[in-house]
Amino acid sequence: MECVVQGIIETQHVEALEILLQGLCGVQRERLRIHEICLKSGPNLGPVASEVRLLCDLEQAEPSWTVRHIGGAMRGAGAEQISVLVRTMVESKASKNVLRMFYLLGYKLDHELLRVGFSFHFNRGAQITVTVSSINKMLKVHATDEAVPVTPGIQLVEVTAPATGETYAEVASAVSSFCEYLAPLLHLSKPGISTGVVPTAAAAAASLMSDGGGTTL
Amino acid sequence: MTVKWILHWTPTQGSVVNSQILNEISQCVESFNAVKDGRWKATLTFYRPNLRDPTIPSEFPRDFLGISLLEQPNKYYFIIRGNKIILEADSTILTIMEKLQSYKSKVALNFEGVQYKMGDFQMKVVKVVPNQGESLRGILIEIEYLPISSIEKAKPIMEEFLELWREVMSKKSLPGHFSQAEPHFAEYKLPDNYTSQHTAIQYAAALAQLIASAQLRG
Repeated sequence: MECVVQGIIETQHVEALEILLQGLCGVQRERLRIHEICLKSGPNLGPVASEVRLLCDLEQAEPSWTVRHIGGAMRGAGAEQISVLVRTMVESKASKNVLRMFYLLGYKLDHELLRVGFSFHFNRGAQITVTVSSINKMLKVHATDEAVPVTPGIQLVEVTAPATGETYAEVASAVSSFCEYLAPLLHLSKPGISTGVVPTAAAAAASLMSDGGGTTL
Repeated sequence: MTVKWILHWTPTQGSVVNSQILNEISQCVESFNAVKDGRWKATLTFYRPNLRDPTIPSEFPRDFLGISLLEQPNKYYFIIRGNKIILEADSTILTIMEKLQSYKSKVALNFEGVQYKMGDFQMKVVKVVPNQGESLRGILIEIEYLPISSIEKAKPIMEEFLELWREVMSKKSLPGHFSQAEPHFAEYKLPDNYTSQHTAIQYAAALAQLIASAQLRG
């Protein structure tokens, strides 16, 4: 299970966001370059259609692979009251032939993306990961070297934290309070509910860039 | 570091495996001045595609196997023997497969072994039993040489040990013999350096032999 919120930011303000995150987390950023392959089950396979994502971490000297399954979001009155999305998510690291294995099992390529950016991992009431990345599409199958941005000038910001059935309320509140610190630069909300860029971003970014993040926002 | 060879018991025409033979084999191992060193377990599971409409002819792997090994509790292995592919994944892959519902486990077999230590060697006497039930379906032995991890370099040492083993076994005049299924590591694109993936492939190959011989007799 994980708690997740998303937002967008103009590329020109990403450097300011990085300075802010650096100041808030006190850890170094990690470079991020992930080839994400989304597979769907073939027409007759499984009682319902299923979807699985294969993530190839291209930042490593030897690319490493992860299988990720994202399940349904938590529903009900309780889920609506909290400002983050709580959903099931299972990951498994796998050997590099995982794509071939899923093709043999009858899964088909649905779409693929290349995420390029950076991430911060830190503990702040929960094990939070912030990723800031541009989403790129491939013009030819698997051609990550020839990827082009899907939304030029705009980057995706995602804040996630692992949770369990017992801890999700606490984790959600830790994620929400962290997001408030980022509010002058961007607004984060449940995935699928886009709130656009925030009007204060330019001024907040200018302020951050001028004093290196020392100002209390 | 380690290299393992896995051999399966092939009964002579007209005979079947039974616990008497298993006991005799264990006695042979003990006669090597071996010290019992605990129990071991692996589980092999056959998966079948979960088809929405089984009447539509579709091409899916018929021999899709999953393997868990006691020595790698956080890993799981998937093998499609027909395509010579082995996948090593974290054991959370089982949760993912359950959620996908595209394949379901059909039959599971437990490989239950008693481990023996003898200097640089280790041996396991392994009985193959269904996941539910006690009936003996097959007998395997695993011979492990600890100081080396190169399969090629270990080969002459393993062959020598196997010769000794066969000599001891021959004194018992049991109705059958141990044979080794060709594991085809290179076809699975595995290196000469021995890993748990090699072990998983050998157990899958040994199981295929057991099934084939049972089908031939049956």
